[in-house]
Amino acid sequence: MGEAVQIKLAHLGIASIQVAAESVRDIVEIMLETDPNLGISAITGLDLGENIGVMYHFRLNQKLATLISEVPKSNPRIQSITDVIPGANFHERELFDLFGVTIDGHPSPGRLVLPEDWPVDLFPLRKDAKIDNLPAQGESSTEKIASAPEIEGTLVNLVVGPQHPALLEPEKFSLKVDGEIVRAVEPRIGYVHRGVEKAAETRTYLQDVYLVERICGICNSCHATCFVEAVEKILGTQVPPRGKYLRTIILELNRLHSHLLLLGHAGLEIGYETLFQYMWRDREPIMDMTELITGNRVIASSIAVGGVRRDLKETDISKIKLEMEKLRKRMDFYQNLYDKEPSLKMRTQNVGVLSKEDAFKLCVVGPVARASGVSMDVRKDDPYEAYGEIPFKLITRNEGDTYARLLVRLDEITESINIIDYALEHLPTGPFRIRAPRVVPAGEALNRVEAPRGELLHYIRSNGTAYPERVKVRTPTFANLPSFLKTAIGGTIADVPANFVSLDPCFSCTDR
Amino acid sequence: MHRQVGLKMAVDLYFFFRVLVFPGFTFILFFTFFCDWVERKIEARMQNRVGPAVAGPAGILQPLADFMKLLTKEEIVPKNAKRFVFKFAPVFSFSILVFAVSLLPIDGSSAIPGVSFQGDLIFIMGLVTVANFLLFLSGWASSNPYGSIGAARVLTQFLGYDIPLFLLALAPAFLAGTLSIATIAASQYLPYIILAPWAFVLFVITLQAELEKDPFDIPHAESEVVGGLETEYCGGKLAFLHLTRDVQIVFGAALVVELFLGGPYGPVFFGPPALWYTIWFVLKLLAVVLLSEYLTCLFARLRIDQIVTANWKFLVPLSVLALALTAALAVWIYPMPV
Amino acid sequence: MSITKAITWARLKSPWVLHFNSGACNGCDIEVVALLTPRYDVERFGIKLEPSPRHADVLLTTGCVTRQCTTRLKRIYDQMPEPKFVVAIGACACSGGVFKGNYTVEGGVDKVVPVNAYIPGCPPKPEAIIDGVVKLLNSLKEAKPNDKK
Repeated sequence: MGEAVQIKLAHLGIASIQVAAESVRDIVEIMLETDPNLGISAITGLDLGENIGVMYHFRLNQKLATLISEVPKSNPRIQSITDVIPGANFHERELFDLFGVTIDGHPSPGRLVLPEDWPVDLFPLRKDAKIDNLPAQGESSTEKIASAPEIEGTLVNLVVGPQHPALLEPEKFSLKVDGEIVRAVEPRIGYVHRGVEKAAETRTYLQDVYLVERICGICNSCHATCFVEAVEKILGTQVPPRGKYLRTIILELNRLHSHLLLLGHAGLEIGYETLFQYMWRDREPIMDMTELITGNRVIASSIAVGGVRRDLKETDISKIKLEMEKLRKRMDFYQNLYDKEPSLKMRTQNVGVLSKEDAFKLCVVGPVARASGVSMDVRKDDPYEAYGEIPFKLITRNEGDTYARLLVRLDEITESINIIDYALEHLPTGPFRIRAPRVVPAGEALNRVEAPRGELLHYIRSNGTAYPERVKVRTPTFANLPSFLKTAIGGTIADVPANFVSLDPCFSCTDR
Repeated sequence: MHRQVGLKMAVDLYFFFRVLVFPGFTFILFFTFFCDWVERKIEARMQNRVGPAVAGPAGILQPLADFMKLLTKEEIVPKNAKRFVFKFAPVFSFSILVFAVSLLPIDGSSAIPGVSFQGDLIFIMGLVTVANFLLFLSGWASSNPYGSIGAARVLTQFLGYDIPLFLLALAPAFLAGTLSIATIAASQYLPYIILAPWAFVLFVITLQAELEKDPFDIPHAESEVVGGLETEYCGGKLAFLHLTRDVQIVFGAALVVELFLGGPYGPVFFGPPALWYTIWFVLKLLAVVLLSEYLTCLFARLRIDQIVTANWKFLVPLSVLALALTAALAVWIYPMPV
Repeated sequence: MSITKAITWARLKSPWVLHFNSGACNGCDIEVVALLTPRYDVERFGIKLEPSPRHADVLLTTGCVTRQCTTRLKRIYDQMPEPKFVVAIGACACSGGVFKGNYTVEGGVDKVVPVNAYIPGCPPKPEAIIDGVVKLLNSLKEAKPNDKK
């Protein structure tokens, strides 16, 4: 090898190595020999003036390890690692889209999140990008809006989206179908790309908490927590124990509402409207509890640098405990339903199977990974907040089909109820927030949390001014989407909605 | 001579009254609205909700409001659609179904009086098949990919399930020894649900599939085919498509009532028998609608291949067995009392 | 009861909605979907969630309009038959919200289609959404019968 230059220990023992761009590929192959289940968590681009920094964040034995390299802006090229780690596909495409780094050897290069009619040589996340005079949005979008199924050879191109009752969000999937069997899926995402990462660079850290929360309304507290924890790492702030426990309760309530939402939505997708209505009815008390603790039903806005904004009153604690009890009893009913209901099982068993091997190769995270037998959970691998002190079970299954993915979430609901009960029992006294310094010194931090959909990663780089230099967000659905492109092949069109929804896709997270 | 003319006019007026008002077109139309309301309320209550509640008392005018609103919307015909079929198939389909319903005895005799004949059971089933085929044509004519897929699914489903439906409809015919619906209805000294319960159960399941309700409602699977065959329709044509679907449900339930529940016949307490026959018919029909809607709410939706398998692997063989069993019993155990 | 009064009555009692997300964070969307669930149950008002633009009277849009979604939103609006209404739900749909000024964000929904009702909030509670829709329907009652809307 001979090119490794320096080993730099970034914050909290997350190892990072600086290497030359040409040797990245070789080092990855060596790392794969050490850990065949090496996964790529994210690829961050950085504008460093004359060079563009490319940071590969790997999951090595479920811990984060970073490989940093630089490519000159005059000739930004780097070799693709997608052929050895298929999960790097989307990350590399995004690097090209937003920074203009050409990826040599990428199997399907092309735009990912930016619109079709975006100027070809304009890369928004570069510091010197001139994005003020964009050409006006014309009617002549180069993207064809499908009005009739086109036929290529024997395959019919069926376009699903961007407005479709199955999809709450706009995104487009072109299914190449042969009769009723799906042969290939081409996604077109980016309909919800709002340029959050660039916007974060022109807002203060405090404003960024509000911005980052609104990347996704469903897992908003997780985004806020991840961001705030990264800032606290740079500042060196220690959150008081009561603050940690309160954050944990808010995060688990977030997980509860998200899983109930998804399981109800899954019911709707397979035509089981009654299940949808019942689950969303049982979800309402969770929204009430969130409102009780934070003041808001959906976007909590309660996590702040140094702790949480509001304290929990004694009277509130008994209300929450009562609701958790009621929900626990309802979960018995749903467990029974999922065990016994034949039409539900017929629609979800053996649909969209993702093998354990594929789960590692495609670097999936969250319940999708756990349903294929991969035991990964940031709460266990890299405990944050109060999770290190609270005992809970890691739920995994081995089948890897839609049914397993739904059951993992069902069981996680019960575990979340246990965590909340434990946290309420053992809630420490003391302050719930400490005043953190206003000015964030220069530095960088990488932080991850377990959002309901999986591992969420934030990277913040600060240059000592009031505005962050770079904020990178890697959301779980971004990592999980390629697995859908694989599992849909070979199934029927009728299986696509059920398979898709079991992924728990959140495109506002993916596109940012 | 004046008396003869007056008598003829009275007979004509009576005929038109029966066909157009009661128990003919107007009655069927408003009864369809009523059944739509009943269905929506049952579905809502099963899902722990309230259902329509604002239009009229307890929301009973909701289907009427929906219909009127649709009639007053802008009419749009897509550029690539096949214009004539697109515009008229829904209305034709609706008319054929109303015609089929008006051949059934509702208040003791059918809306179009004196037309029952030997074999009108087969004629009516044929009419329904034609109406379903016209629905398929309306989806095909809209030249929209979702419309075409929805239409293809409707075709697959109703053609497949017509066979067991027909076989099972013959079971009461065997018991009664006749192919005329009016006679089948009248000859049930004990309702055939008691004499041949297996045929009833299978008939109700097959009817769920014919009416495209859960677990067989794949032609209307919103999450897969958007609006199905209705996707491109709007305005008055959509109103008639919806009405067609609702009248199909009324027709299916009416068929169950005639064939298995003893038709409109029941105890008469006072006054004209036609009044009581109508009341019994309405009550029995509502019971069938309730059963059907209950089944709809209980199950998820099956895939198209699962539905086709269910038909050919289970329902068709079981219907043949049911028919054979009923025929055997009809001769040996339940011969018609003379 | 005159014909126009009957028609207005029918339109008020049966507003069918289409929900379209043109770049939202999902917060408003899940509150819109929550309207159909037992606690809020808007089917009482005759509101049905329709799958196809051709069937709907009211377009409920959420989210700021991203560059990618502009043509889609316009096209969906054009596909709806008259009389039709647009309700912008949430701060992002009203004006762009926290994303205003970003490089792919056009702004609020009214940059693309005419809006009849704005419902602010981030996200607005389901009660606020119902209130907004009811206000829209009441404004219909006062409209003259020969208005195009």
